[in-house]
Amino acid sequence: MSKERNVDLAKWSGPKRPYDLVKEFVIAFLVVGLLVGAISAIFSSPDEPAVTLQQWANQAPADFVATTAGELAGTTISAAYGPPYNNAAEGLKLGPLKIQKWAGVTIPVNPAVDFVATPLKFSKDPSVPAALAQWNGASSDQQLKWATDYSTALGKAGDYTKVTASDAYGPVPTMATGLLALAQSDVLDGLLTTTVTPYPSDFTKPMLFLADGTYFDDLGAKQHLHGDQWGMMNETGSYPGQSWLWLFSLWYQVEPFKSSENADIQIFALLMLLNLGFIFMPKIPFINRLPRLIPFHRLIWRRYYKENNL
Amino acid sequence: MVLLAISLNHPAHFFNWGFISISIPNLIMIGIIFVLFFLALLLPFPTHDKPKGK
Repeated sequence: MSKERNVDLAKWSGPKRPYDLVKEFVIAFLVVGLLVGAISAIFSSPDEPAVTLQQWANQAPADFVATTAGELAGTTISAAYGPPYNNAAEGLKLGPLKIQKWAGVTIPVNPAVDFVATPLKFSKDPSVPAALAQWNGASSDQQLKWATDYSTALGKAGDYTKVTASDAYGPVPTMATGLLALAQSDVLDGLLTTTVTPYPSDFTKPMLFLADGTYFDDLGAKQHLHGDQWGMMNETGSYPGQSWLWLFSLWYQVEPFKSSENADIQIFALLMLLNLGFIFMPKIPFINRLPRLIPFHRLIWRRYYKENNL
Repeated sequence: MVLLAISLNHPAHFFNWGFISISIPNLIMIGIIFVLFFLALLLPFPTHDKPKGK
């Protein structure tokens, strides 16, 4: 240790040469700036239009209604996610470390209320107010039974138009189709983005609602954006993506991470561990001897080694 | 300028090998990165005639 410290503190007695760092910075800045400008002009940039709730409701109404019923039944991803949205589960865990649970519910979202019941107050459908009153007046067990039975019926029929009307579903079909009409008329997008502020700047709720359905999921799969499609590295269209994230993306393709519900935090922890390996590389046996076995640095600083006969 | 731009807003092709799946645009970028790295390594760096000091 003391020897290393002495080496660090000792005055450099080897050869020196002038080096104009400012000149190099200016040249690099100009060259990179010109390249970025030219390539941007030639290839433009990704221009994927934002997916809206209206688009979803118009292009996949059956999926929209099924997802709405799922929100009421509490079976969707966001309804069952846990922190930071609700207490339905414990959230991401790293072994015994319940990290998201410790952080708590910081963005409260109740899908049945926030995505369905509250927006329905703005419905123009005359049958909706009575359905809402029936829903709000029922016990949570009754609500769950209606929504679960309707979800099951939708799953069997495949499309809400093929489900036979029944009292067993209570007001759920009316609420689901009422919300569908609200979304198709382009009202729901605005309602879900203006619940926190009057300006449509918070897209948390429409994003969560969209992600609960299969429509948005399928759009992502077509663009190879899923985690198990190396999606972290990909960009929309034919633009190059974030290829430098290959090491993060790699672990999502292999077990046990591929099928793990806690893959995000597990892979993050693994990468932090690998980063520690980089930091402590000079202290790791064998690894710290690799430059002697593979003298790549001598190629980079070949002139120095040649001039000094090293 | 917009009219001159080459649009890449169409589905990419992918190179698939086992569990590895890389888009061709990403593969091209990785190739360019390697070419630039080896060029930087092998092209002669501008030097001054004689080192000063010592």
